[in-house]
Amino acid sequence: MILLELGLFFSLLSLLSVGGMPSVIPEMHRYVVEQKAWISHTDFIEMFALGQAAPGPNVLISSLIGWKIAGVPGAFVTLAAMCGPAAVISYWVAGFWERMKDRPWRAVAQRAMVPMVVGLILSGGFVLATPGGTPDWRLWLIAGLSAAGMVATKLNPLWMLAAGGVLGAVLL
Amino acid sequence: MQVTPPSSLRELFVGFLSIGARSFGGVMPWAHRVLVEERRWISQEDFTAVVGLCQFLPGPNVGNASIVLGRRWFGIKGSIVAFLGFFGLPFVWVLALAALYADFSSDPVVKRVVIGVAAAGAGLFIGTAIKLAKPIARSPAGLAVAAGCFIAVGIGRVSMLIVIPVAALASYLLARNKLI
Repeated sequence: MILLELGLFFSLLSLLSVGGMPSVIPEMHRYVVEQKAWISHTDFIEMFALGQAAPGPNVLISSLIGWKIAGVPGAFVTLAAMCGPAAVISYWVAGFWERMKDRPWRAVAQRAMVPMVVGLILSGGFVLATPGGTPDWRLWLIAGLSAAGMVATKLNPLWMLAAGGVLGAVLL
Repeated sequence: MQVTPPSSLRELFVGFLSIGARSFGGVMPWAHRVLVEERRWISQEDFTAVVGLCQFLPGPNVGNASIVLGRRWFGIKGSIVAFLGFFGLPFVWVLALAALYADFSSDPVVKRVVIGVAAAGAGLFIGTAIKLAKPIARSPAGLAVAAGCFIAVGIGRVSMLIVIPVAALASYLLARNKLI
């Protein structure tokens, strides 16, 4: 029963998604493309591109992956599973976190999270731009320019995505 | 600045709907605009604190913010209403876009454009990582943890189920000793 499997896996991702959805992209890819082979790498990055370009939170990429694997029910199941467990935690933790404001461990935990999130998001970028682990300079060039644009300017990220689309049509 | 919380569930729903519906190219700037500037439901400081909490929690950041703020004003009903308002339109749009794309995806030019967009999206992740790395730029231990996570997850393709507990423990101990 693929919907059940999707639901369980994305619930687990939900709990692991410190720093938001980008952190779990590598794990999502590892499971649905490499381990289960439910969809191809190309399918995965196509859904990623659509999710990035559409308005709304980027967690919707997970519902596109679910849609590709199991149709509209898959889209509902993955989105609910991706948001549900995290939402329950948010609901209960909000008050507790406020009360812990002056405890030293809270600041330590916040600092400790930064390097992990950095490493995970970087992994996401690398996996998406390196199909099958084989470097393609054209994809790396587009990714590098877009990263530079984001770090050096205050442009809306949509401009970087649009430029990536144009470069893709020309180079690939 | 005068801050007035939403007076009804309906107002809450419409407010979060207007965040989701307009958030082209990133949700956070629109969340700020709607919550702090347009509707003045919360103050700037409050917004920063809520965002800080939601970045720490697992899950989508603004999705979590809808849960936290909805709860503050209307309890569990508020959480559900704000969450549904926020996700409703983007969910429909993204599926409509995917269905539309399915009709054109066999066109080789369309395919190249989309793969280019994905590569640029990957670049946005890399840019985000670089920006987030500012607080650890001068900490060798912090950079080592980040590099270790990248090598294990990005290159080695080790499951996050293994990497996260190990990295979290190491990172917490280093941070407690002021090395991060």
